[in-house]
Amino acid sequence: MNDGYRVLSLDDLERLKSTDGTLTLLPLRRTIGFRPFGVNAWLGERAGDRVIERHRERDGDEELYVVVRGRATFTLGEETIDALPGTLVHAPPGTLREAIAAEDDTLVVAVGAKPGKAWEPAAWEDFYVAFAHRAAGRADEGRALVVDTLRRHPGTWQGPYNAACFEALEGDDDAAFEHLGVAFDRAPALICKYAPADADFDRLHGDPRWQELFG
Amino acid sequence: MTHAHVDELDRIELADGFEWRPVRRRFGIRAFGVNAYAPGATGQIVEEHSESMLGHQEIYLVLRGRARFTVDGNDHELAPGELVFVRHPSLQRSAVALTDDTIVLALGGKPGSAHEPSAWEAMFAAVPAAREGRWADAIRMHEEALVEQPNSAPLLYNLACMESRGGRPLDALLHLTRAIALDAKWAEHAAKDTDFDPIRSEPGFPS
Repeated sequence: MNDGYRVLSLDDLERLKSTDGTLTLLPLRRTIGFRPFGVNAWLGERAGDRVIERHRERDGDEELYVVVRGRATFTLGEETIDALPGTLVHAPPGTLREAIAAEDDTLVVAVGAKPGKAWEPAAWEDFYVAFAHRAAGRADEGRALVVDTLRRHPGTWQGPYNAACFEALEGDDDAAFEHLGVAFDRAPALICKYAPADADFDRLHGDPRWQELFG
Repeated sequence: MTHAHVDELDRIELADGFEWRPVRRRFGIRAFGVNAYAPGATGQIVEEHSESMLGHQEIYLVLRGRARFTVDGNDHELAPGELVFVRHPSLQRSAVALTDDTIVLALGGKPGSAHEPSAWEAMFAAVPAAREGRWADAIRMHEEALVEQPNSAPLLYNLACMESRGGRPLDALLHLTRAIALDAKWAEHAAKDTDFDPIRSEPGFPS
Protein backbone atom coordinates (compact mmCIF):
# COMPACT_ATOMS: atom_id res chain seq x y z
CA MET A 1 0.00 0.00 0.00
CA ASN A 2 1.19 3.53 -0.67
CA ASP A 3 -0.29 6.99 -0.33
CA GLY A 4 -1.13 7.07 -4.02
CA TYR A 5 -4.06 4.76 -3.64
CA ARG A 6 -6.21 3.06 -1.05
CA VAL A 7 -8.25 -0.13 -0.91
CA LEU A 8 -11.17 -0.41 1.48
CA SER A 9 -14.62 -1.81 2.01
CA LEU A 10 -17.63 0.44 2.49
CA ASP A 11 -18.12 -1.59 5.66
CA ASP A 12 -14.79 -0.29 6.97
CA LEU A 13 -16.23 3.22 7.15
CA GLU A 14 -17.60 4.81 10.31
CA ARG A 15 -21.37 4.64 10.69
CA LEU A 16 -22.51 8.11 11.71
CA LYS A 17 -26.07 8.66 12.87
CA SER A 18 -27.81 11.93 12.16
CA THR A 19 -28.84 13.97 15.19
CA ASP A 20 -32.41 12.69 14.97
CA GLY A 21 -31.20 9.12 14.46
CA THR A 22 -33.03 8.62 11.19
CA LEU A 23 -30.02 8.52 8.85
CA THR A 24 -26.71 6.67 8.84
CA LEU A 25 -23.86 8.19 6.86
CA LEU A 26 -20.75 6.26 5.86
CA PRO A 27 -18.42 9.18 5.13
CA LEU A 28 -16.54 7.84 2.13
CA ARG A 29 -15.32 11.10 0.60
CA ARG A 30 -13.87 12.49 3.82
CA THR A 31 -12.30 9.20 4.75
CA ILE A 32 -10.36 8.77 1.52
CA GLY A 33 -9.84 12.45 0.71
CA PHE A 34 -11.58 12.30 -2.67
CA ARG A 35 -11.62 15.80 -4.19
CA PRO A 36 -13.31 15.87 -7.63
CA PHE A 37 -16.94 15.67 -6.44
CA GLY A 38 -19.15 14.47 -3.63
CA VAL A 39 -19.48 10.75 -2.94
CA ASN A 40 -20.76 9.09 0.20
CA ALA A 41 -22.63 5.97 1.29
CA TRP A 42 -25.84 5.76 3.28
CA LEU A 43 -27.02 2.72 5.20
CA GLY A 44 -30.48 1.53 6.09
CA GLU A 45 -29.79 -0.91 8.89
CA ARG A 46 -33.39 -2.13 9.04
CA ALA A 47 -36.15 -2.35 6.49
CA GLY A 48 -38.16 0.84 6.79
CA ASP A 49 -35.15 2.98 7.69
CA ARG A 50 -34.64 6.13 5.70
CA VAL A 51 -31.58 5.77 3.46
CA ILE A 52 -31.72 9.03 1.55
CA GLU A 53 -33.41 11.94 3.27
CA ARG A 54 -36.33 13.64 1.55
CA HIS A 55 -34.81 16.71 -0.06
CA ARG A 56 -34.14 18.73 -3.18
CA GLU A 57 -30.70 19.88 -4.29
CA ARG A 58 -31.64 23.54 -4.51
CA ASP A 59 -28.13 24.71 -5.40
CA GLY A 60 -28.16 22.91 -8.72
CA ASP A 61 -26.38 19.66 -7.86
CA GLU A 62 -27.30 16.61 -9.88
CA GLU A 63 -27.04 13.29 -8.08
CA LEU A 64 -26.71 9.63 -8.88
CA TYR A 65 -27.67 6.96 -6.35
CA VAL A 66 -26.27 3.46 -6.68
CA VAL A 67 -27.79 0.57 -4.75
CA VAL A 68 -24.86 -1.57 -3.64
CA ARG A 69 -26.81 -4.13 -1.60
CA GLY A 70 -30.22 -4.68 -0.08
CA ARG A 71 -33.21 -3.04 -1.69
CA ALA A 72 -34.52 0.51 -1.59
CA THR A 73 -37.73 2.24 -2.53
CA PHE A 74 -36.89 5.55 -4.16
CA THR A 75 -39.36 8.34 -4.65
CA LEU A 76 -38.26 10.74 -7.35
CA GLY A 77 -40.81 13.45 -7.96
CA GLU A 78 -44.00 11.52 -8.74
CA GLU A 79 -42.13 8.32 -9.59
CA THR A 80 -41.60 5.33 -7.28
CA ILE A 81 -38.69 3.01 -8.03
CA ASP A 82 -38.09 -0.42 -6.54
CA ALA A 83 -34.30 -0.46 -6.63
CA LEU A 84 -32.39 -3.73 -6.42
CA PRO A 85 -28.59 -3.99 -6.14
CA GLY A 86 -27.01 -2.56 -9.26
CA THR A 87 -29.78 -0.03 -9.80
CA LEU A 88 -28.72 3.51 -10.71
CA VAL A 89 -31.12 6.34 -9.93
CA HIS A 90 -30.43 9.76 -11.43
CA ALA A 91 -31.89 12.83 -9.74
CA PRO A 92 -31.65 16.07 -11.72
CA PRO A 93 -31.26 19.29 -9.70
CA GLY A 94 -34.41 20.41 -7.96
CA THR A 95 -36.12 17.03 -8.06
CA LEU A 96 -37.66 16.01 -4.75
CA ARG A 97 -36.18 12.67 -3.80
CA GLU A 98 -35.96 10.17 -0.93
CA ALA A 99 -35.23 6.48 -0.41
CA ILE A 100 -36.44 4.02 2.19
CA ALA A 101 -34.77 0.65 2.84
CA ALA A 102 -37.01 -2.21 1.71
CA GLU A 103 -34.63 -4.77 3.24
CA ASP A 104 -32.29 -4.84 6.22
CA ASP A 105 -28.72 -3.74 5.54
CA THR A 106 -29.45 -1.67 2.45
CA LEU A 107 -26.43 0.26 1.23
CA VAL A 108 -26.63 3.14 -1.26
CA VAL A 109 -23.77 5.21 -2.66
CA ALA A 110 -24.67 8.81 -3.49
CA VAL A 111 -22.63 10.83 -5.99
CA GLY A 112 -23.23 14.52 -6.57
CA ALA A 113 -21.91 17.79 -7.95
CA LYS A 114 -22.98 20.89 -9.80
CA PRO A 115 -22.53 20.84 -13.59
CA GLY A 116 -20.07 23.38 -14.90
CA LYS A 117 -18.61 24.20 -11.50
CA ALA A 118 -15.41 23.08 -9.82
CA TRP A 119 -16.51 21.10 -6.80
CA GLU A 120 -15.63 22.13 -3.26
CA PRO A 121 -16.31 20.09 -0.13
CA ALA A 122 -19.65 21.15 1.34
CA ALA A 123 -19.91 22.31 4.94
CA TRP A 124 -22.83 19.95 5.59
CA GLU A 125 -20.49 16.96 5.60
CA ASP A 126 -18.37 18.44 8.37
CA PHE A 127 -21.36 19.55 10.43
CA TYR A 128 -22.96 16.13 10.04
CA VAL A 129 -19.78 14.49 11.32
CA ALA A 130 -19.37 17.05 14.12
CA PHE A 131 -22.91 16.38 15.37
CA ALA A 132 -22.32 12.64 15.13
CA HIS A 133 -19.19 13.01 17.25
CA ARG A 134 -21.23 14.96 19.80
CA ALA A 135 -23.92 12.31 19.87
CA ALA A 136 -21.25 9.67 20.41
CA GLY A 137 -19.92 11.52 23.46
CA ARG A 138 -16.99 13.11 21.65
CA ALA A 139 -18.13 16.72 21.94
CA ASP A 140 -14.63 18.18 22.02
CA GLU A 141 -13.79 16.45 18.76
CA GLY A 142 -17.06 17.68 17.29
CA ARG A 143 -16.50 21.24 18.47
CA ALA A 144 -13.01 21.32 16.98
CA LEU A 145 -14.51 20.29 13.65
CA VAL A 146 -17.20 22.98 13.95
CA VAL A 147 -14.55 25.65 14.57
CA ASP A 148 -12.46 24.42 11.65
CA THR A 149 -15.52 24.30 9.37
CA LEU A 150 -16.44 27.88 10.24
CA ARG A 151 -12.91 28.90 9.36
CA ARG A 152 -13.05 27.14 5.98
CA HIS A 153 -16.53 28.40 5.08
CA PRO A 154 -16.57 32.04 6.19
CA GLY A 155 -19.42 34.44 5.59
CA THR A 156 -22.33 32.01 5.44
CA TRP A 157 -25.34 32.06 7.75
CA GLN A 158 -25.63 28.27 7.77
CA GLY A 159 -22.24 27.82 9.42
CA PRO A 160 -22.89 29.87 12.56
CA TYR A 161 -26.47 28.61 12.64
CA ASN A 162 -25.24 25.02 12.84
CA ALA A 163 -22.58 26.02 15.34
CA ALA A 164 -25.33 27.58 17.46
CA CYS A 165 -27.32 24.33 17.29
CA PHE A 166 -24.23 22.40 18.36
CA GLU A 167 -23.58 24.61 21.37
CA ALA A 168 -27.24 24.75 22.37
CA LEU A 169 -27.34 20.96 22.41
CA GLU A 170 -24.11 20.94 24.39
CA GLY A 171 -25.56 23.39 26.91
CA ASP A 172 -23.15 26.23 26.26
CA ASP A 173 -25.76 29.00 26.01
CA ASP A 174 -23.26 31.84 25.70
CA ALA A 175 -21.55 30.23 22.73
CA ALA A 176 -24.91 29.32 21.19
CA PHE A 177 -26.14 32.92 21.34
CA GLU A 178 -22.86 34.23 20.03
CA HIS A 179 -23.11 32.02 16.92
CA LEU A 180 -26.83 32.66 16.56
CA GLY A 181 -26.20 36.39 16.64
CA VAL A 182 -23.69 36.10 13.80
CA ALA A 183 -26.15 34.02 11.77
CA PHE A 184 -28.92 36.54 12.50
CA ASP A 185 -26.79 39.44 11.32
CA ARG A 186 -26.10 37.66 8.04
CA ALA A 187 -29.63 36.47 7.25
CA PRO A 188 -32.21 37.82 9.70
CA ALA A 189 -35.28 36.74 7.73
CA LEU A 190 -34.07 33.17 7.36
CA ILE A 191 -33.03 32.89 10.99
CA CYS A 192 -36.44 34.21 12.09
CA LYS A 193 -38.00 31.58 9.84
CA TYR A 194 -35.98 28.57 11.00
CA ALA A 195 -34.72 29.13 14.54
CA PRO A 196 -38.03 29.41 16.44
CA ALA A 197 -39.16 26.06 15.01
CA ASP A 198 -35.81 24.32 15.54
CA ALA A 199 -35.97 21.90 18.47
CA ASP A 200 -32.20 22.26 18.96
CA PHE A 201 -32.94 25.68 20.46
CA ASP A 202 -35.85 24.69 22.69
CA ARG A 203 -33.89 25.16 25.88
CA LEU A 204 -32.90 28.70 24.88
CA HIS A 205 -36.45 29.99 24.57
CA GLY A 206 -36.59 31.23 28.16
CA ASP A 207 -33.36 33.17 27.92
CA PRO A 208 -33.71 36.97 27.68
CA ARG A 209 -31.31 36.95 24.74
CA TRP A 210 -33.79 34.81 22.81
CA GLN A 211 -36.45 37.43 23.40
CA GLU A 212 -34.06 40.11 22.17
CA LEU A 213 -33.58 38.26 18.91
CA PHE A 214 -37.06 36.97 18.23
CA GLY A 215 -39.36 39.03 20.48
CA MET B 1 -35.05 8.11 -17.99
CA THR B 2 -34.39 8.45 -14.27
CA HIS B 3 -33.17 4.98 -13.42
CA ALA B 4 -31.68 1.84 -14.90
CA HIS B 5 -30.12 -1.36 -13.68
CA VAL B 6 -26.51 -1.91 -14.70
CA ASP B 7 -27.70 -4.86 -16.78
CA GLU B 8 -30.06 -2.55 -18.71
CA LEU B 9 -27.28 -0.24 -19.85
CA ASP B 10 -25.82 -0.37 -23.35
CA ARG B 11 -23.05 -2.95 -23.65
CA ILE B 12 -20.18 -1.91 -25.85
CA GLU B 13 -17.41 -4.43 -26.36
CA LEU B 14 -14.11 -2.71 -26.80
CA ALA B 15 -10.97 -3.87 -28.50
CA ASP B 16 -9.11 -3.85 -25.19
CA GLY B 17 -11.18 -6.87 -24.15
CA PHE B 18 -13.76 -5.49 -21.76
CA GLU B 19 -17.33 -4.27 -21.94
CA TRP B 20 -18.16 -0.62 -21.37
CA ARG B 21 -21.60 0.14 -19.98
CA PRO B 22 -22.06 3.91 -20.28
CA VAL B 23 -23.71 5.48 -17.25
CA ARG B 24 -22.91 9.18 -17.67
CA ARG B 25 -24.13 9.24 -21.25
CA ARG B 26 -27.24 7.21 -20.37
CA PHE B 27 -28.46 9.81 -17.91
CA GLY B 28 -26.86 12.87 -19.49
CA ILE B 29 -24.85 13.52 -16.34
CA ARG B 30 -22.73 16.65 -16.66
CA ALA B 31 -21.23 17.07 -13.21
CA PHE B 32 -19.02 14.00 -12.82
CA GLY B 33 -17.63 10.98 -14.60
CA VAL B 34 -19.27 7.62 -13.98
CA ASN B 35 -19.34 4.39 -15.95
CA ALA B 36 -19.75 0.67 -15.41
CA TYR B 37 -17.63 -2.15 -16.76
CA ALA B 38 -18.11 -5.87 -17.26
CA PRO B 39 -15.51 -8.43 -18.31
CA GLY B 40 -14.89 -9.37 -21.92
CA ALA B 41 -13.73 -12.74 -23.19
CA THR B 42 -10.29 -12.27 -21.66
CA GLY B 43 -11.65 -11.39 -18.22
CA GLN B 44 -10.22 -7.90 -18.40
CA ILE B 45 -12.60 -5.44 -16.78
CA VAL B 46 -10.45 -2.33 -16.35
CA GLU B 47 -7.82 -1.71 -18.98
CA GLU B 48 -4.28 -1.04 -17.85
CA HIS B 49 -3.87 2.71 -17.89
CA SER B 50 -2.99 5.79 -15.92
CA GLU B 51 -4.96 9.03 -15.68
CA SER B 52 -1.89 11.22 -16.18
CA MET B 53 -3.30 12.90 -19.27
CA LEU B 54 -6.66 13.82 -17.69
CA GLY B 55 -5.42 14.28 -14.13
CA HIS B 56 -8.38 12.33 -12.76
CA GLN B 57 -8.71 10.78 -9.34
CA GLU B 58 -10.74 7.59 -9.64
CA ILE B 59 -12.79 5.26 -7.48
CA TYR B 60 -13.45 1.73 -8.68
CA LEU B 61 -16.30 0.11 -6.74
CA VAL B 62 -17.13 -3.56 -7.18
CA LEU B 63 -20.91 -3.85 -7.43
CA ARG B 64 -21.10 -7.57 -8.20
CA GLY B 65 -18.78 -10.56 -8.49
CA ARG B 66 -15.08 -10.35 -7.70
CA ALA B 67 -12.16 -8.61 -9.36
CA ARG B 68 -8.42 -8.57 -8.96
CA PHE B 69 -7.08 -5.04 -9.22
CA THR B 70 -3.45 -4.29 -9.89
CA VAL B 71 -2.49 -0.81 -8.80
CA ASP B 72 1.08 0.44 -8.94
CA GLY B 73 2.19 -3.17 -9.28
CA ASN B 74 0.26 -4.45 -6.24
CA ASP B 75 -2.59 -6.96 -6.48
CA HIS B 76 -5.81 -6.64 -4.49
CA GLU B 77 -8.81 -8.97 -4.73
CA LEU B 78 -12.09 -7.13 -4.20
CA ALA B 79 -15.64 -8.30 -3.43
CA PRO B 80 -18.92 -6.36 -3.71
CA GLY B 81 -18.89 -3.19 -1.64
CA GLU B 82 -15.11 -2.95 -1.78
CA LEU B 83 -13.29 -0.26 -3.70
CA VAL B 84 -9.98 1.11 -4.85
CA PHE B 85 -9.42 4.84 -4.66
CA VAL B 86 -6.55 5.90 -6.91
CA ARG B 87 -5.50 9.30 -5.67
CA HIS B 88 -2.47 9.84 -7.88
CA PRO B 89 -3.42 10.02 -11.56
CA SER B 90 -0.03 8.75 -12.65
CA LEU B 91 -0.42 5.31 -11.07
CA GLN B 92 -0.95 2.41 -13.44
CA ARG B 93 -4.08 0.44 -12.68
CA SER B 94 -6.00 -2.45 -14.22
CA ALA B 95 -8.42 -5.15 -13.15
CA VAL B 96 -9.39 -8.68 -14.13
CA ALA B 97 -12.79 -10.13 -13.25
CA LEU B 98 -12.68 -13.34 -11.23
CA THR B 99 -16.33 -14.18 -11.94
CA ASP B 100 -18.24 -13.78 -15.20
CA ASP B 101 -20.93 -11.58 -13.65
CA THR B 102 -18.55 -9.00 -12.19
CA ILE B 103 -19.53 -5.35 -12.51
CA VAL B 104 -17.20 -2.49 -11.57
CA LEU B 105 -18.45 1.07 -11.25
CA ALA B 106 -15.84 3.71 -12.02
CA LEU B 107 -16.15 7.28 -10.74
CA GLY B 108 -13.67 9.90 -11.81
CA GLY B 109 -12.89 13.56 -12.13
CA LYS B 110 -10.17 16.16 -11.83
CA PRO B 111 -9.91 17.91 -8.46
CA GLY B 112 -10.47 21.65 -8.63
CA SER B 113 -11.98 21.63 -12.13
CA ALA B 114 -15.52 21.61 -13.46
CA HIS B 115 -16.14 18.21 -14.97
CA GLU B 116 -15.89 17.88 -18.72
CA PRO B 117 -17.04 14.68 -20.39
CA SER B 118 -13.98 12.77 -21.54
CA ALA B 119 -13.42 12.64 -25.27
CA TRP B 120 -12.93 8.89 -25.13
CA GLU B 121 -16.59 8.40 -24.23
CA ALA B 122 -17.76 9.58 -27.66
CA MET B 123 -15.06 7.50 -29.31
CA PHE B 124 -16.07 4.37 -27.37
CA ALA B 125 -19.74 5.05 -28.07
CA ALA B 126 -19.00 5.13 -31.79
CA VAL B 127 -17.26 1.75 -31.74
CA PRO B 128 -20.36 -0.34 -32.62
CA ALA B 129 -21.20 1.92 -35.57
CA ALA B 130 -17.62 1.83 -36.82
CA ARG B 131 -17.43 -1.93 -36.37
CA GLU B 132 -20.54 -2.32 -38.53
CA GLY B 133 -19.29 0.13 -41.14
CA ARG B 134 -21.98 2.70 -40.35
CA TRP B 135 -19.52 5.51 -40.90
CA ALA B 136 -22.13 8.26 -41.11
CA ASP B 137 -23.36 7.34 -37.61
CA ALA B 138 -19.84 7.13 -36.21
CA ILE B 139 -18.97 10.49 -37.75
CA ARG B 140 -22.13 12.10 -36.37
CA MET B 141 -21.30 10.92 -32.83
CA HIS B 142 -17.86 12.46 -33.05
CA GLU B 143 -19.23 15.68 -34.48
CA GLU B 144 -21.74 15.94 -31.63
CA ALA B 145 -18.93 15.55 -29.09
CA LEU B 146 -16.81 18.12 -30.92
CA VAL B 147 -19.51 20.74 -30.47
CA GLU B 148 -18.70 20.62 -26.75
CA GLN B 149 -14.98 20.00 -27.10
CA PRO B 150 -13.95 21.66 -30.37
CA ASN B 151 -10.26 21.57 -29.50
CA SER B 152 -10.00 17.94 -28.46
CA ALA B 153 -7.15 16.52 -30.49
CA PRO B 154 -8.13 12.87 -29.78
CA LEU B 155 -11.68 13.54 -30.97
CA LEU B 156 -10.47 15.30 -34.11
CA TYR B 157 -8.06 12.47 -34.83
CA ASN B 158 -10.72 9.80 -34.41
CA LEU B 159 -13.18 11.79 -36.45
CA ALA B 160 -10.57 11.90 -39.20
CA CYS B 161 -10.22 8.12 -38.93
CA MET B 162 -13.97 7.67 -39.39
CA GLU B 163 -14.07 10.10 -42.30
CA SER B 164 -11.14 8.39 -43.99
CA ARG B 165 -12.84 5.01 -43.69
CA GLY B 166 -16.19 6.52 -44.64
CA GLY B 167 -15.09 8.00 -47.94
CA ARG B 168 -14.78 11.63 -46.93
CA PRO B 169 -11.10 12.28 -47.68
CA LEU B 170 -11.18 16.06 -47.63
CA ASP B 171 -12.92 16.18 -44.22
CA ALA B 172 -10.48 13.56 -42.95
CA LEU B 173 -7.46 15.59 -44.04
CA LEU B 174 -8.93 18.75 -42.53
CA HIS B 175 -9.58 17.17 -39.13
CA LEU B 176 -6.33 15.23 -39.06
CA THR B 177 -4.43 18.44 -39.77
CA ARG B 178 -6.25 20.18 -36.94
CA ALA B 179 -5.51 17.33 -34.53
CA ILE B 180 -1.81 17.47 -35.39
CA ALA B 181 -1.77 21.25 -35.04
CA LEU B 182 -3.11 20.82 -31.49
CA ASP B 183 -0.74 17.98 -30.62
CA ALA B 184 2.08 16.91 -32.91
CA LYS B 185 2.11 13.35 -31.54
CA TRP B 186 -0.92 12.53 -33.70
CA ALA B 187 1.28 12.77 -36.80
CA GLU B 188 3.24 9.76 -35.52
CA HIS B 189 0.02 7.84 -34.91
CA ALA B 190 -1.31 8.74 -38.36
CA ALA B 191 1.84 7.47 -40.03
CA LYS B 192 1.10 3.95 -38.76
CA ASP B 193 -2.70 4.00 -38.55
CA THR B 194 -4.33 1.82 -41.19
CA ASP B 195 -7.51 3.90 -40.89
CA PHE B 196 -5.71 6.43 -43.04
CA ASP B 197 -4.66 4.02 -45.80
CA PRO B 198 -7.51 5.29 -48.05
CA ILE B 199 -6.14 8.84 -47.93
CA ARG B 200 -2.42 8.30 -47.37
CA SER B 201 -1.56 9.16 -50.96
CA GLU B 202 -3.74 12.26 -51.01
CA PRO B 203 -1.97 15.61 -51.42
CA GLY B 204 -1.73 17.26 -48.01
CA PHE B 205 -1.50 14.05 -45.98
CA PRO B 206 0.93 14.85 -43.18
CA SER B 207 4.35 13.40 -43.76
